[in-house]
Amino acid sequence: MSAALGAERPQVVSHVQQALSYTVFDCKWVPRSARLLCLGSAARGAGVVQLYELHGARLELLREIEKPKPIKCGTFGATSLQQRYLATGDFDGNLNIWNLEAPEMPVYSVKGHKEIINSIDGVGGLGIGEGAPEIVTGSRDGTVRVWDPRQRDIPVANMEPVQGESKRDCWTVAFGNAYNQEERVVCAGYDNGDIKLFDLKTMSLRWETNIKNGVCSVEFDRKDINMNKLVATSLEGKFHVFDMRTQHPTKGFASVSEKAQKSTIWQVRHLPQNRDIFMTSGGSGSLHLWKYEYPAQRSKKDSEGSEMGVAGSVSLLQNVTLSTQPISSLDWSPDKKGLCVCGAFDQTVRVLIVTKLNKI
Amino acid sequence: MPVWLREHSWRQTLTAVYLSLPLRGARATPANIFCSEQYLKVSIPPFLFEAVLYAPIDDTNSTAKIGNGNIFFTLYKKEPAMWDSLTLANADKEKLQYLRENAVLKAQEKAKQETEAKKVTKQEHKKYALEATMKLEEAERKRIEDLKERERQKVAEELELWKNQQKDGDKYKSIQKKEELHQEVEPLKERKNENINKTRIPNEATSKTRLKSTRGHGSCSIFSQNLKEEQLPAPRVAATIKVNFTPRVFPTALRESRVAEEEEWLHKQAEARRIINSDLSELEDLKEEEKNPDWLKDKGNKMFAMGDYLGAVNAYNLAVRLNNKLPLLYLNRAACHLKLRNLHKAIEDSSKALELLTPPVPDNEKARVKAHVRRGTAFCQLELYTEGLQDYEAALKIDPRDKNIEKDAEKIRHLIQGTVQSS
Repeated sequence: MSAALGAERPQVVSHVQQALSYTVFDCKWVPRSARLLCLGSAARGAGVVQLYELHGARLELLREIEKPKPIKCGTFGATSLQQRYLATGDFDGNLNIWNLEAPEMPVYSVKGHKEIINSIDGVGGLGIGEGAPEIVTGSRDGTVRVWDPRQRDIPVANMEPVQGESKRDCWTVAFGNAYNQEERVVCAGYDNGDIKLFDLKTMSLRWETNIKNGVCSVEFDRKDINMNKLVATSLEGKFHVFDMRTQHPTKGFASVSEKAQKSTIWQVRHLPQNRDIFMTSGGSGSLHLWKYEYPAQRSKKDSEGSEMGVAGSVSLLQNVTLSTQPISSLDWSPDKKGLCVCGAFDQTVRVLIVTKLNKI
Repeated sequence: MPVWLREHSWRQTLTAVYLSLPLRGARATPANIFCSEQYLKVSIPPFLFEAVLYAPIDDTNSTAKIGNGNIFFTLYKKEPAMWDSLTLANADKEKLQYLRENAVLKAQEKAKQETEAKKVTKQEHKKYALEATMKLEEAERKRIEDLKERERQKVAEELELWKNQQKDGDKYKSIQKKEELHQEVEPLKERKNENINKTRIPNEATSKTRLKSTRGHGSCSIFSQNLKEEQLPAPRVAATIKVNFTPRVFPTALRESRVAEEEEWLHKQAEARRIINSDLSELEDLKEEEKNPDWLKDKGNKMFAMGDYLGAVNAYNLAVRLNNKLPLLYLNRAACHLKLRNLHKAIEDSSKALELLTPPVPDNEKARVKAHVRRGTAFCQLELYTEGLQDYEAALKIDPRDKNIEKDAEKIRHLIQGTVQSS
C-alpha cells in the first residue's frame, strides 16, 4: 500500500478477514443489509452457502446451508427487495432460486445446462430498472440462456452454437441496457476471446468481437440505463473498456484497453454509486481501482459520414495486494459506498473499505 | 655492520626519563622507532641505537618527538624511582638477546591486542548504528500503522452508524407502513360511499383486495410494490439465437495454440516463396512464365493429369532448379516417379518433401499424409514391406479417418505375415 504518497488517493483498507473451511467461488452482499453471502464448494464435493453479518470488526455466521452440488455463482439481481431470493448456478448446470428463510426447497429449479454454470446475472429486481425479472446463465456447454422465474423449465431465450460447430465455453454473462420494459441486452464472454452482444428485444446478435484472450468477466457500468460502458477482462492481464453509446456499422464499438498485471484479471465490478469507477481483481491476489475518463467528444464522424465512438482513458487510482491466491469474486455493497467483499482461492473472504471515494 | 649512535643525552625526574638522540642527518619516521617495556631501539639504516632500559617503562603512554635532526623521547617510568643509568649496566650478550626477543614478542602481542580491541569497538559501533536505524524504521512503520488504524476505526464507526440507521430505518419504515395501512383503510371506506374518480377505481380495487390479503397475513407490504407487480410484462416469448464462434487460421484459442510452431511453418512457407536459386546463364532463354515455379508446378500437374509423366517430371525438375524449398514440387514429382516406376526416385522425393514439411502443424497435414502414402507405396513395390508399413502407419496417425489407407495398411500386414510364414 502506498500510504505515504497521495494522501488524497482512495485507500483500500482491509476491515475484516474471515477464514473459511471451503473454497469460496462467489460472495454477494444481501441488499439493504449488512449481511453477506458466501457460495462455494466444500472439500467433500457438497455445495455450501453461508450467511454472515458484519458486526464491528468481525463477521458473525448467521446460517450455513448445505446443498448436494457445489455452487459456482449467485445473484440477487432478479428478486424484489422484499423477498430477496438468491438465484444460484451450480456445478451440475442447475439453476435454483432459494428463499433464504426456508432453504430446504428451492422456489424455482431447473436443470438449465448440461455442464457447470460458470456465470449468472439477474435484472429487473431490487427496485432497479424496469421490466420483467430475468436471470441469465452462461455455461461450459457453450450456451447462454435467459430464464424468467415465472416460467418453468423453458428458457425465454437460448443462445446456442450452430449445429455441428465446435462449442466454446461461456465464461461470463451480464445484463445491460434495461432502461425500459422492452429493451434488454445480454453480453456474453467466451474462452476463445469472443464477446457477443445479444439483443433480447429483437432476439438477434447485435454485435460481436474477439479480444484474442479468453474473457473472464464482463460487466456493464449500469444495467438499468441506456448502455454506456462495458468492461471486459481477460487472461494475461488485459481488460478492455468499450464505449457502448455509438455503434459503428462495421467497426462496432470503440474501446480502450489496459494491461494491468501479468496474471489473469478474474473480475471487474463497477461501484454502484459511481459508474466511472471500477475495481478489477487479479490472479496474483491484487485489486486495482480504476477511473474512466470520458473523451472531450464521445463520438465523431468517420470518412463515410457514419458515427463512430471515441474511447476515453483509464487511470489507476490505487492498487493493493491482499493475497497470494487469485481473488475470484468481488462485490460492492449497494448500500454503503466503498464497502466491498472479496473472496479468494486461499479460502478467505475479506471485507474491504475503500476510502475517499467522495473526493474523486 | 650498523653504525651505532652513541651520542645520546638524557635526564630524568622521579616519574619520567627524557632522552634526546641526535640523528646525524638521517631522517626518522615513527616506523623506525621500536619500543617495548624495557627495550628501546631506533633503527634508521645504517644507523642503529638500542638501549635496554634500567627499569620498565609505560610504553603506551611514552612519546617520541621527531624533529630538528633529533628524536626526543619522553618515557614514563612504571615505578617512580631514580635510575642509576639509562641502560642496564651489567648486560651480557645473552641477556640482551633474550630481552630483545621478549621485547619484540611483547610488541607483537600488544599490536594484536590492539587490533582486536579495535575490531570489537568497531562491531559495537555497527551494532549501535543498526539498532538506531531499526528504531527509526519501527517508528516510521508505527506511524503508518496508526494512520491506517485511525482510518479503519473511523470507517468502522461510520459502518456501525450506517447499520444502525438501516435497522432504525427498517423499523421506522415498518411502523410507517402500518400507519399508512391504517390511514389508507379510513379514506377508502369513506370513498366507497362517495363518488369515485374513474382513475381511482383500479387502484381502489386492487388495494382493497390487497388489504384483505395483507390483513389476513398480518405482514406489511408496500402498496406501490404490489402495483408494480401488476404492471410487469408477461414472460418473453421463447426464442433461440444461433451463435457462431470466431474461426481462426489455426482454430485454437490463443491459450491453446502452438503459436511458435505455426509461426515457424508460415515463415518457412514465406521464405520458400521468395527463394529463387537460379542459374542465370541457362535460364536466359526461358520465357518469362517458365521462370515461375508456380506456373511450372501447374503445368506439371496438368501433364500428370493427362498422363504425360515424363513431361511432368521435366516441369517439376525445372521448378525445383528455380526454387528447391517448395515441398509440393517434390511431392508431385514423387507421384510421377511412382507412375514411371522409378521407385527409388519416388522414395527420395517423398523423403525430401517430408523434410520440408516440418514443423508438423495442422496446416500441412494433407501434404504429409500424401508424402507418407507415396513413400509407402514405393517401398511396397520394392518389396520392402516393413518400411512401407511404417509409412502407412505414420499416415494413419496423422489422419486416422482415411479408410483407403487403413485398407492398404491391412493388406501390407497380411503380406508381411504371409512372407514370414512361408519363409
